[in-house]
Amino acid sequence: MQVVQPTRGPILLVEDNPDDVALTLRAFRKNNIANPIIVARDGAEALEWLFCEGPFADRDASEAPSVILLDLKLPRLSGLEVLERIRADERTKLHRVVILTSSKEEDDLTASYRLQANSYIRKPVDFDEFIHAVGQIGLYWLILNQPPPRV
Amino acid sequence: MLRSLALLATAVAVRFVVRSGRRRRRHARVEHLLTTLEHAEELAGVGFWEMDVRSGALKWSEGLHAIYGTDPASGAPDRVAFFEMVHPDDRRAMRDVFRRLSASETVVDITFRIFRRGELRWLQARAERKVDRRLGTDHFLGVTRDITEEHRKTEEIESHAHELEEEVRRRTAQLDATNRELEAFSYSVSHDLRTPLRSIDGFSQALLEDYGDKFDADGRDYLQRVRAATQRMGRLIDDLLALSRVSRSEMQARPVDLSALAQQALQELREQQPERQVECVVAPGLTATGDPTLLGMVLHNLLGNAWKYTSRHSTARVEFGAREENGQREFFVRDDGAGFDPAHAGKLFAVFQRLHRVDEFEGTGVGLATVARIVHRHGGDVRAEGAVERGATFYFTLPGERAR
Repeated sequence: MQVVQPTRGPILLVEDNPDDVALTLRAFRKNNIANPIIVARDGAEALEWLFCEGPFADRDASEAPSVILLDLKLPRLSGLEVLERIRADERTKLHRVVILTSSKEEDDLTASYRLQANSYIRKPVDFDEFIHAVGQIGLYWLILNQPPPRV
Repeated sequence: MLRSLALLATAVAVRFVVRSGRRRRRHARVEHLLTTLEHAEELAGVGFWEMDVRSGALKWSEGLHAIYGTDPASGAPDRVAFFEMVHPDDRRAMRDVFRRLSASETVVDITFRIFRRGELRWLQARAERKVDRRLGTDHFLGVTRDITEEHRKTEEIESHAHELEEEVRRRTAQLDATNRELEAFSYSVSHDLRTPLRSIDGFSQALLEDYGDKFDADGRDYLQRVRAATQRMGRLIDDLLALSRVSRSEMQARPVDLSALAQQALQELREQQPERQVECVVAPGLTATGDPTLLGMVLHNLLGNAWKYTSRHSTARVEFGAREENGQREFFVRDDGAGFDPAHAGKLFAVFQRLHRVDEFEGTGVGLATVARIVHRHGGDVRAEGAVERGATFYFTLPGERAR
């Protein structure tokens, strides 16, 4: 039997709402997801972390996130703009990006997939469903999914 | 000889008399024709002109003088005087008319402006070159009509049409702006209103899990109620969004297999509640023309309702079919469930109106409003028949299916 090792890299959670941050962290805990979680409070901060700029200039650049959970409605840079920048840069274009948002407007879905989001998940109101959804994200992106080889 | 001279003289005299009699009669006829012509000119508001190409001699009729406001006693104007009356911007076109007349015997038309004693008038003229080889004459002939009034009316109509176009453009822009606002609003409803709900539900759940032992049964019940209400509000928001999307979305007009859509909806319901004993009857081959997604929503809602309102009966029957009513085809969804009091039937299709308590049958009161809006957008009508505990039948028409 093959033992599947979970992807170890940190999870980058881009989310401006502190309640949602707390609930998402709780959901990770409930699902026994042990990866370190980096929280970026807006789009600009997320890009600074990804590109090792500003306060993250000293970060180990070889440490890539196992998955990026990206909210769409963010102050300063929107989620879609962040996604666009991630896909446009050689260093980050292969990162796994899961859109995690309240919106299920068709325009948002289309725009996200057009910018090559890997998944699009709508946050349910029911917290039990939310925990289940986060568990599925962890199972799929951290365990089942084979990440691209490191360049 | 004398006699013969006298005879000749008599003959000449007679002839002269005869001739002058003819001449007089002919003259009278010409006079009559001219008078008739003048009357006709006046009646038609037209004027004639004639120019001898070789000598350049020009004749204007009384009518033409009236159009140009010139004095008939002073005769036709010369070329310089004529061109002075023509609007400067139309002089080139007028010179062109004469060039074309000289070049061939075709009919030439022109609409141009003049100043009649300083007043701008619109004229329409048609001219032609007439060469009579037998008589050896060569003339330009023309008819001119004052169209100032017609022109003014046309301009009025055009400016009216233009104003209408402007108005349509303005209204369309307004509508676009309203639509964009609505988009932004529903986006914000979809995103911003749900966010706090997630917090309420999430932290209530966290309280129950982490501090459940600090609450007594009442406390836990209250928190469960908070969660239930929050989740219900989430569903309400989702349903309202679906309703607003019904009005906002672009509609397609395609042949739609309603029977297949009904089967599909019932299949999903059966999968959600496999324990239910429901006899499902779908008439085969029912089609209509419309938007497949929207018509799918209609059947989903109606069959979902039928499924829901029969849930208190141990066995139930749900039917989708069609019938002819007053020569029009009516589709229907029928169940033998809880039905409704026909006295309140008018409220069925209004948003948030429910005829059952939430503890009897769960629901948000948006489903039938969505159905009605979709059917109306297809140009059809929807109505319901029912009685308490005797089931309900919802009828709807889709006229698009007739038109095609």
